[in-house]
Amino acid sequence: MIKAEPKTILYFLWNYFDVVKDLFDIQADEGIIKKEMFAEVLKKHDKDIKQQLLEYKILKSQKDDYELRDVYYKMLEFVLFEFRPMLPEEIAKFGMAIGELFKRIRGKSEGNKEILLERIRALSTQIREFSDAVEKNSIRLLNETRDLKANAAKVDYREKIQRASFWIHYYIIPLNTILDVNHKESVSNRLLEISEYANQMRLNSTEEEIRQSFERLYFMLRQTNDDLLRQSKILTHELLPLIERIRTESIILTGFIKLLKNPYKITPPRLTSSNKKNPVSDKIYLSTKEYFEQFSYMSETFIDQYSEDMDKWLFKKEVYKKKLVSQLPVENFFGWCMEQFNEDPAGLTNEKVFAVTSLLFDQDFDVSYSEKSKAFKVTTRTAKLNVPLLKISQHGIPGKAQVNS
Amino acid sequence: MEYPEKHRLIVEDLMAGRFILSREKHFEVLKGNEPFYTEFFKKSFDYQLVVTEEYAYIVSEDTDETISRDISIFFAILCYELDKQGKNFLDGLQYSEYSFEEVNQLFENSSYTDLIQTNKQLKDDDSRRKLLFSTMSRKNIIDKVTDDKFYFTPAYKIFIDFAREVADMQVAEEDN
Repeated sequence: MIKAEPKTILYFLWNYFDVVKDLFDIQADEGIIKKEMFAEVLKKHDKDIKQQLLEYKILKSQKDDYELRDVYYKMLEFVLFEFRPMLPEEIAKFGMAIGELFKRIRGKSEGNKEILLERIRALSTQIREFSDAVEKNSIRLLNETRDLKANAAKVDYREKIQRASFWIHYYIIPLNTILDVNHKESVSNRLLEISEYANQMRLNSTEEEIRQSFERLYFMLRQTNDDLLRQSKILTHELLPLIERIRTESIILTGFIKLLKNPYKITPPRLTSSNKKNPVSDKIYLSTKEYFEQFSYMSETFIDQYSEDMDKWLFKKEVYKKKLVSQLPVENFFGWCMEQFNEDPAGLTNEKVFAVTSLLFDQDFDVSYSEKSKAFKVTTRTAKLNVPLLKISQHGIPGKAQVNS
Repeated sequence: MEYPEKHRLIVEDLMAGRFILSREKHFEVLKGNEPFYTEFFKKSFDYQLVVTEEYAYIVSEDTDETISRDISIFFAILCYELDKQGKNFLDGLQYSEYSFEEVNQLFENSSYTDLIQTNKQLKDDDSRRKLLFSTMSRKNIIDKVTDDKFYFTPAYKIFIDFAREVADMQVAEEDN
């Protein structure tokens, strides 16, 4: 029995709400309020209210620890909009109770009007609790999902995938099954059946009190079915796609982050390269056009067949033969060649070297060559020629060295 | 032998490394003659033709790996940055129109600075613009709306599937 006035209790709650909320948070997380944590909360707020909490039956002892009484816990859940997600199994128990009560009501208890009215009342209570439980779960699941999306807790993508999969597997899909009207065994389907029965009974029942009771049940069920349909839509149209997307996006981001860590170690998608190869250049048209255009603008050319090329060098073999004969024997023929053009302003050209070389084939000269002798370099205006060291003497007359020996 | 209508366009597009999209007229021809083209590309060039409901492309051993990698990195950074801003990047890729400036800012402010600066196709505004409006546009991965605005064509899904495969690979590695 509570000695305190209801207003006193409510005023107490209003006055010490921060303390009570902290205790609620601890119980929501831990399931129980350990005595050390309880003491810590009172110390934090500097409030010694243990006695009142127990006296007003807000708190009850659990051995050395404490817990908020269910009625206060639920009230705080409601006012704070922070619901514990119920396992679908917990929600499904309402379905069983509803089914059992409906079976009894339909089983005709007209012989006992009072028990029938009690059962209708109990059925209404169960339906209401079921509807509340579904709504609270949807709210909690939506909040959880949105938090996961915003990633306020900075969980990594792998954990996000796991959490999303957990919510989908253990909460959302089973809850959806409970709400799915197309599912024969779903609670929603059972409620539609009850609604139909209540509708018939509110019109057909002869007893006024029973008729009114079924009417209340019928209208409550109409509202409940609308609410459940809305919750079902939230689940299927918003919650499930949202959490599914979080899971999918997290998987994709996990892959992308791995790629960004080692971009050159992972083989990217195979895209065909644009490997169009033409046998001719793709610029062939312009190149060809340009080539032919150079001829179309060529200026006229005249060939003057009477003009003489004054600079042209002519090899006068006899002149060079005489010079060579006069200097025989010559130890280095190509050295001699170079000397002949020292004075020539046009310098030594390949043409001149090869022309003078023709003297080597003259029968009046003997040409000898020693394998031991080194090569000689002749530098012309345009080339450097490696030539052998050739000795020239007059045919039939030995050189000085030969005479002396 | 009679070739299907738009045969030349189909072959030229695919051989140029373009994605043919379902909204293009020659996609219908390609889809309608899928067995013929599958054999045609296999026997003529040893290429594999991939046709989905949304796009078609060819896969060959002669892969343009650099471009493919750069585009993959582009999508990876884009998705990561969009997610960081709390946006649903999958919806974004599928439905949103982007401006170059918007995407450019994401890269400018990205924490993957080193990777961006060492990548020739992503290192600065001009490179990114070229990658988007030239390379990716030519391949039909984006559709230009104006000189500044574009949206992604369904071809982006190749890179999303690729990320999914990499993630699966990672999971498999960790499980082992």
